[in-house]
Parts: sequence; C-alpha cells; structure tokens
Amino acid sequence: MRKREIKTTLLYVVLILITFLSISPLIWIFLTAFKIRREIFAIPPVWIPKLPTLNNFISIFTGGFSRTPFIYNSIIISLSTTLLAMVIATMAAYGFAKFRVPRSKDIEFWILSTRMMPPIAVVIPLFLLFRNVGLLDTKRGLIMVYIAFNLPFAIWMMSIFFRQLPREIEEAAVIDGCSTFSLLRYISLPLVAPGLAVVAIFTFYFTWNELLFALILTGRVAKTFPVSISEFRGVVNIRWGPMAASSIVHIAPVIVITFLLQKYIIAGLTLGAIKK
Amino acid sequence: MSKNARVIKYVFVLPAIIYLILLTIYPLIYSLKISVTTLNIARPYPPQYIGLSNFVELLKDSIFLTAMKNTFFLTVLSICAEFILGFIIARFFFMGANLKLKGVGLLRTIYMLPMMVTPLVFGLIWLYIFNPTLGVANYLLSLLGFPPISWFGSTNIALYSIVLINVWEWTPFMMLLCLAGLSTIPPELFEVARIDGAGWHQSIAFIELPLVRRVILIGLMIRIMDNFRLFDLVYVTTGGGPGSSTETLSMFTYRQSFMFFNVGYGAAASIIILILGIILAQILIKSVWGKEEYA
Repeated sequence: MRKREIKTTLLYVVLILITFLSISPLIWIFLTAFKIRREIFAIPPVWIPKLPTLNNFISIFTGGFSRTPFIYNSIIISLSTTLLAMVIATMAAYGFAKFRVPRSKDIEFWILSTRMMPPIAVVIPLFLLFRNVGLLDTKRGLIMVYIAFNLPFAIWMMSIFFRQLPREIEEAAVIDGCSTFSLLRYISLPLVAPGLAVVAIFTFYFTWNELLFALILTGRVAKTFPVSISEFRGVVNIRWGPMAASSIVHIAPVIVITFLLQKYIIAGLTLGAIKK
Repeated sequence: MSKNARVIKYVFVLPAIIYLILLTIYPLIYSLKISVTTLNIARPYPPQYIGLSNFVELLKDSIFLTAMKNTFFLTVLSICAEFILGFIIARFFFMGANLKLKGVGLLRTIYMLPMMVTPLVFGLIWLYIFNPTLGVANYLLSLLGFPPISWFGSTNIALYSIVLINVWEWTPFMMLLCLAGLSTIPPELFEVARIDGAGWHQSIAFIELPLVRRVILIGLMIRIMDNFRLFDLVYVTTGGGPGSSTETLSMFTYRQSFMFFNVGYGAAASIIILILGIILAQILIKSVWGKEEYA
C-alpha cells in the first residue's frame, strides 16, 4: 500500500510539473499584461507585478491605438463564418450520409483533400480576383474565404456523426409521413447536436485565430484582431505592455471555450483518428 | 427511389461542391494563368507571357531552395520531438487516469492550452521571452551560469528557436492523440502481458505502439501538413531572417508576392508548393488508409 502512495505522489509531481512548464509562457504573458513599463523592462525580471495596473488594457480599448474596431470585425467574421459553414456543411454531410450520390467517395475524398491545401497557394489568386470584384478589405470577402476553408473539416465531421445514427429511427419517421427536410430538422439534427458543437467550436477557433488570409485580404476597414496584434512586431521598440494585454484579450475567449467545452474539443481532435 | 428524392439529394450536396469549386479550384486555375506571366502589381504596364521561365528561375533561386530545405528540416525535427515527448507525456497522463487520480482531467485540459492559442500570439510571447536584453530566457540561463544566447539573431540558432516554440505549442496535440489511442486498448491486454511477465518496455513496443499506430499516423499526417505550410510563427518572430535562415516556403511566397509585388513569380512558387503538398498528402493518406478500406 505504501509503495502505491509513493507512486501516486510521484505521478502527481510529474504531471503538475509538465503542466506548469507547458503553460509557463502563457502565465508569463498574463503577468506581464498587468505590469507597469518599469517592471516590464526590469532585469532581473519582476515575476509578480508589485504595482498591478490596468493601463495596458485601457490603452488597447481607447485612444489612438484602440483595437476595438478590429475586435468587433473579428467577432462578426468569426460568428458569421461559423453559422454559414455549419448550415452548408450539415446539408452536404447529410446528403452524403443518407443518399446515394454518384461518385460520392471520390467527391468526399476531394473535399477532404482540399483541407490539406496550403493557404498560400490560393491567397494570391484570391487577392487578384477580390481586387477585381471589389471584395478586398471587406468582411464579406473574408467570410467567404473562411467558409471555404472550414467546409472540408465540417463536412467530414458531420458525416461521421450522421453515419452513426441508427437507420431505424429515420425509417420510422418516414413511415409516419415525415418529409426529408422535417426529418433532418426534427429527428436527425437534434441527434447529431454534439457533432454540430464540435464543428462550431473548431470553425470559430480557426476563424478567430487565422492570420494569413486576413493579412493579405484586408486592410484598413475589415482588419481583424490577429492582424492588428501582428502589427506589434516589426517596430523598433515593441510596446510589450499593450502587446501582452492584446494577447490576453485574444486568448481569453479561446481558453474559456476550452474549459467549458473540452469534451467536444477532444472529440473533434481525436474522433477522426479513432473511429472511421 | 422516387424522382423527388433524386432531386433533393442534389439540393443537399451541391451548394458545398459548387462553393468549394468557386473558392478553391477556380482560384487555382487563375493562379496557373498568372504563374506564366511577369505580373507585378506595383508596376503599371501589362504583364507579359513568359512560359515556364518563373518555374525555371525558382529552381535556380537559392533563397527558394533554402526555404524548401528549412521547411523540410523544421518539419522533421519538430515532428520527431513532438511525437516522442507527446507519447511519453501521454503515458504519464494514462497512468494517472488508470490510477483514477483526482484532477487528472483538469490538469490535462490546462496542459493542452498552448495549442488552443494562435501561433501568432504564442510566437509574440516567445519574442518577449527570447528578447536579447529583457527576455526571461537569457536571465534564467545566466542564473545557471550559461552565456546569453542570441535566439533569433543568429543564423545558426534562429531555426532551432522556431522549432522549440513549435514543439512547445504542438506537443499537447500529439499527446492528446496518443492518449486517445492508449485509452482504446482493452485493459485486459495489459493484464495478460503483466501476467506473462512482460516489462514496461515490452508493453510499449508490442502492445501500445502497434495498437495506437493508426492514431499516431493521423497525428503525424496533420502535423506534417501544418508544418509544411508554417507561416504565422515565422512571420511574427523572425520574418524569415536573419538572412534567409528561417525562410519557409509560405514566408518566401508571401514576401515575393506582397512585399516585392512579384505576383507572377509568387504564383509560380505557390504552384510548386501546391504540387509538393499534393504529393505529400497522397503519400500520407495512402500510408494511413493504405490497406484498410477508405471511409
């Protein structure tokens, strides 16, 4: 029994050390966000801010360097993309899972392989095409691109969930006179709600974090939060305090979602790998 | 099947297919068209058709070749490190879960936070940690008696610094996949192996690794493709420098197209990247789904 206790204690120590090490950069930036300028530049470093301040946060929401419009853009773009991608993907996945579509295996394989496509390969032509049709630097344009990039994963994930539904339930509904759309709306969709949650989380996560497309396809008007954060670098004197505060504001929703919905996140990451 | 159902299935499937054709296939065709021209968006005169010159030029461009080499090197190094560390850490979490330790689930969630943060922000954090004058990394090294390191400033070290950050952020991903794989192994197998006198190393070699092989392969596949198109982290930390020591394929193409405005040349580079990506993806998908029937 005693041996078991030692083993348990050792394991706890190891796990806590690993976890602490893993998130130590995040803890460091969190502490930095509340420091005054003098403490940020102090060597040896000040670990815990002695004079905690909210000035860094205030500076990113007000004044000439305000990031509020970009945060607003990111929220609109992320939510719209998530919603629209879910609708299109759910329909497609349902179609593939429930009907006999000619060459559906090939089409599904093609859809999945578009997920492998390096974004840099499409961003150049998209930039030129968007310039011609006036979609450059618009939220609409970026939403369109983001939907395209999230559809493959969303369709794949939803079709896994739809295929797991027992046929009998749907057959019974059809016998009772249920139409295709009301079957989807009232019977199938509620049953694949966990899949919808996975898709929603991952689409939001991708969109909220994305940099390359936004960097190239947006400018002054539709600039997203990540692009505005990336602008902290490339200047001689990086404003570390506001940089830290912006980082915290950007990752806060992600961390909250991770804690609240971790079950779905782990399912999304591992489902495709385990079941198929 | 009724005629009605035949129509309905296309109503479901077609929007996604048309959408993807318009936003992925069509731009790629357009890209092919640009790649054989001298198009430069900073110049007013019209582009000229130059055949495959851009491609020939690229294969002679030492920076492009360096970018290819760097991308390959950082992919291999990152993935080996992520997998080895991920598997070891997964075993610790697996032991914790088997002993039904309290709070293991919570620790695991906290542990995986770095991968949920965008590489952009994670890279900026490390830009601060690795700062030559006020960074905490060199301060900690000095406490241990080591000289300061020029993390992003030296052509010999910068790429390793990128790999370090990359591995730090993505080891949790490999660990989650390994853990998921380990959890699918029936506990009786371990029991039988233990009774038969198998040691822990035999258990790893003959039970764990073979049975989680598929999960590992999928994890490797996803991470290889991620690294192949790595952009954010490099963009925000080194911008490809110093010199071209951390230039990656995506970074190279970005610079050519949107800093020098050589869009024709950039498009040609992006086509080479795409072709390499397709070959890589085919090899990886075959190796994962190889003998098993796909879908």
